[in-house]
Amino acid sequence: MWAYFKFEFLQFISNRKNIAIYVILLFFSCDFALKIAPTYNPIERVDVSEIEARYLTREAFLNNVVIDEGTHYLSSFAVSIFQEWNEYEGERLEAIKQHNLKEYAEATSKWYTYADKLTFPNAMGVLYYNPGYYTFGNIYATMDGHYAYLYSASRYKAYTEGKSNLSVNVFEERTALQTLQRLLNSYLPLILIVSCILLTVDIVLKDRRNPTLLQGLPLSDWRKLIVKGLVSLLGSLISIIPLSVGLLIIGGRNGFGDFDLPVPIYSSGKDAFSNILMGEYLVQNMLFIVFWFLFIISLLLFVSVLLKNEFANLVVGFMFVIAEFIYFERGLGAVWNVQWYPTSYVQVGQIISGYRNFLYGSETLTFGSGILVMGLCTFIFLVFTFLISNQRKFKLL
Amino acid sequence: MIELKNIAVQFSGRDILKDISVMFNSGEIIGLVAPNGTGKSTLMNVIMNYINPNTGKVILNDELEYTNKKNEVKMHQLVSMMPDQSDLYNQISGKEHLKIYSSMWNSNPKLIDNTIQELGMASYIHKSTGTYSLGMRQRLCFAMQIVSDTQVMLMDEVMNGLDPTHVELISQILVKKKSEGKTIIVASHLLENLEKYADRIFFIKNGELILVNSISPGFEEREITIVRISEMTDKLKEEISKEFPETKVQSLSNGTTLLDVRGYDSGELGNILAFLKENQITEFSFGKVTLNDLYSMFYQEE
Repeated sequence: MWAYFKFEFLQFISNRKNIAIYVILLFFSCDFALKIAPTYNPIERVDVSEIEARYLTREAFLNNVVIDEGTHYLSSFAVSIFQEWNEYEGERLEAIKQHNLKEYAEATSKWYTYADKLTFPNAMGVLYYNPGYYTFGNIYATMDGHYAYLYSASRYKAYTEGKSNLSVNVFEERTALQTLQRLLNSYLPLILIVSCILLTVDIVLKDRRNPTLLQGLPLSDWRKLIVKGLVSLLGSLISIIPLSVGLLIIGGRNGFGDFDLPVPIYSSGKDAFSNILMGEYLVQNMLFIVFWFLFIISLLLFVSVLLKNEFANLVVGFMFVIAEFIYFERGLGAVWNVQWYPTSYVQVGQIISGYRNFLYGSETLTFGSGILVMGLCTFIFLVFTFLISNQRKFKLL
Repeated sequence: MIELKNIAVQFSGRDILKDISVMFNSGEIIGLVAPNGTGKSTLMNVIMNYINPNTGKVILNDELEYTNKKNEVKMHQLVSMMPDQSDLYNQISGKEHLKIYSSMWNSNPKLIDNTIQELGMASYIHKSTGTYSLGMRQRLCFAMQIVSDTQVMLMDEVMNGLDPTHVELISQILVKKKSEGKTIIVASHLLENLEKYADRIFFIKNGELILVNSISPGFEEREITIVRISEMTDKLKEEISKEFPETKVQSLSNGTTLLDVRGYDSGELGNILAFLKENQITEFSFGKVTLNDLYSMFYQEE
């Protein structure tokens, strides 16, 4: 079996299509690191002039406002909230000017908590989150702002408690590991899963090009399939290598960050966010992505023995990647029991960070449920593949 | 040894193989001869279980049959088929191919270098097979099967694309493998070569496997049984029939005429020689019927 593994792997790494996939990933990675990452402009950035402008305006208002019986109720409201708010704002300003980043983090955490406490209920209907959330057509801007403020409050609080070296790049999540964290929350899992599909799509059916060389090998079809699956898994994991080149470039420019940096995890309880360490977050993501690879590989092995058509493999594989876009409806996750569909877990980073639960308005899309569903589906695909490949008259080629 | 029992294969209602029962013994070279598309490859594919026969079974060493996948693996450990040269991986070297086959069958690794040496492949074995000529590829395929070192070896068109030197070289290796107790089944169109080293030769016609000896009983005997005349006019054929009414005259599709002189004594053979000389026929030979002759006789109606 080891000999067959080596043989399959040799074929895999010398396959032109696979080499092309790795080269394209390397290109994407470098392009992202050199062109896209530098243009990253977070909504919640460290903007001294903005802080200062807001602080001075409110301070001037507080210094000059006269509260009496005739004062407009909104002015009274402003006075009641701006005093504490500006206290935090002032601390932020002072800390960043002094380059005291711990103090800045502490004040900023308080600032976000306080801002969200006032803005989310929006009792007077005059408070808004950062304008960056109010984009055209976004009817969930307030929810997005609420999430982002609490997220920021949580991570800034963790910065004050943690041992990580702080910097503006860390605050703006620009370091290599934080960029990876952001990418895992967006399209990186999709890129990895699609790469896995493309690498696996012909792993069985390519043998039809060399039938007389391979048909008579003294190895059962089931074992051949398992070895092919393992080779495909290894090949899919290797796709991380070209992608890491981009992270090295970003690390060289903005710092790498460290594995003790906090990653806020959303849950729908009273304390919306709790933090885990970056290392733990990345390990969970890696494990989840491995489960996705196993899911895709077992699915494609099953389709390969069932339909024996590469195009069918491609279509079925992509169906599983894009299916969630068809049924995704914000806030309706609990109604539709989306936690039972493996396709609901395609946004791996968002599942682990809890953002998917936030979007669906559910509590059930978790790392654990994802592993369970993906693992169960993988097991079912493998059982069916085993049964088919062990039929006496079954021919792999 | 490998036994085929009542093997029948039909494709689209057409009989490709009909109720074939035969035993191939250890230490035997079997020749399969037939025009293209008459079932040689199908028969080999059935032996390898690449094709499920409609009826019948393949039995290896009186105990193993293709009854389940586990047995299939056991049988493939003992029975191998030479790969087709067009199926080689062009981007990897010949040596890699040999290593793969050797490790898959867990055979003695020394066989790799010995086979390379024997087949004179050392100068190119480390190059990608994409750079090989047809003959080089064919030799590599043969070498791959040799390093697999299985008890039963099936070879379809093993001599294709080989020059006479290499045909001879491979023939010698086949004889050596036979002496090691291997069962070697060879399908080939190089009839003269096959005739030289095959212990039994079978024709396939209308889905049936026919032992050459059964259609030409004296085929293996070492005596003069035939006079082969390269070119002969129809008039002369008539004359010879009149002159020697008991001599069977047979014309082959390749233009050769055969006079059946089985059991003739020296005097009778002398008369025929005299007749040919009188009629100024110079291109003729006395000898035994060859596989080429039998092939022409057997398949000329088609």
